[in-house]
Amino acid sequence: MHMSSNPLEAAANADTAPLVDWTPEQQIAHMLELCEAQMESAMCESDLAVDSLIKAFSGLAESASSLNAMASKLTPEQRKAFEGVDLKKQMESIERQMSAAIVAFQFYDKLTQRLGHVRYSMSTLAMFVCDRAQTTQKDQWKRLYTTLKRLYRTQEEKEIFQMMVEGASADEARDHIHQSTQTIRIGQAGEIELF
Amino acid sequence: MSGASSQVILAVDDSASMRQMVRYTLEGAGYEVIQAADGIEALDFAKTRGVDLVLTDVNMPRMDGITLVKELRNLDTYKFTPMLVLTTEAGQETKLRGKQAGATGWIVKPFNPEQLLATIARVL
Repeated sequence: MHMSSNPLEAAANADTAPLVDWTPEQQIAHMLELCEAQMESAMCESDLAVDSLIKAFSGLAESASSLNAMASKLTPEQRKAFEGVDLKKQMESIERQMSAAIVAFQFYDKLTQRLGHVRYSMSTLAMFVCDRAQTTQKDQWKRLYTTLKRLYRTQEEKEIFQMMVEGASADEARDHIHQSTQTIRIGQAGEIELF
Repeated sequence: MSGASSQVILAVDDSASMRQMVRYTLEGAGYEVIQAADGIEALDFAKTRGVDLVLTDVNMPRMDGITLVKELRNLDTYKFTPMLVLTTEAGQETKLRGKQAGATGWIVKPFNPEQLLATIARVL
């Protein structure tokens, strides 16, 4: 297939280009692959941004730690110069904010993992729909659902999957997600169990 | 933090950002942290130098965290070493597999730094 080296020109041509080997299944698969590619592109971009954020966070954390060490060595006379400023309280406040940032950063990691599962689901579905014989068999669809179910790791993914499989509409699933999200506090951590 | 300065923790996760967050938390409390990106790398580290605690993710390329725990438990030097699993996996089935492999505890991500440190102090 000819591809223009200029993305803008290619986009302009997309409306008029003839669809080669056109079948509904191939078009669905192609659309799914397109969505997956868009998602990968966005994830790569945000990975770079988050890397920079983490580097900045590490730098801030080191500076805070140095300041803390310096503050602990101040003599009572030197402390007087900070009249009205409770250094200990300030350092504790920084530490609390650092802890909250650590928890929040981990949600990005969770997001990456979940989007990875969505991408895998899309590419699996793209391959599946290309085989017309498969798509007409109920058992094959059940197998596909089972394959996708095994992907899910988080409680949230499992809940959404279960709702949809049990017949909830996409709107109902979305409502459930929004309600659940309202109860999540960003500082909230996961459970701990010792065996 | 007293008592933590001489202890070495092996932190295993395929996500670089997670390793950074764990390292920052543990080093801040005085632990020495060794990082590995998967079970194979972690097993190599553990064999070449002793560690006091292993903190591992579950889903990783090459070797997952549960297999890592199982492999380490087969080594005489790691029979009684605390091994905590830090994962997004919330399913009871996977947790049970971790317990059967010999994990000491299960922590669901995201971790809270103070709670993680308290748990580590408790099992060490």
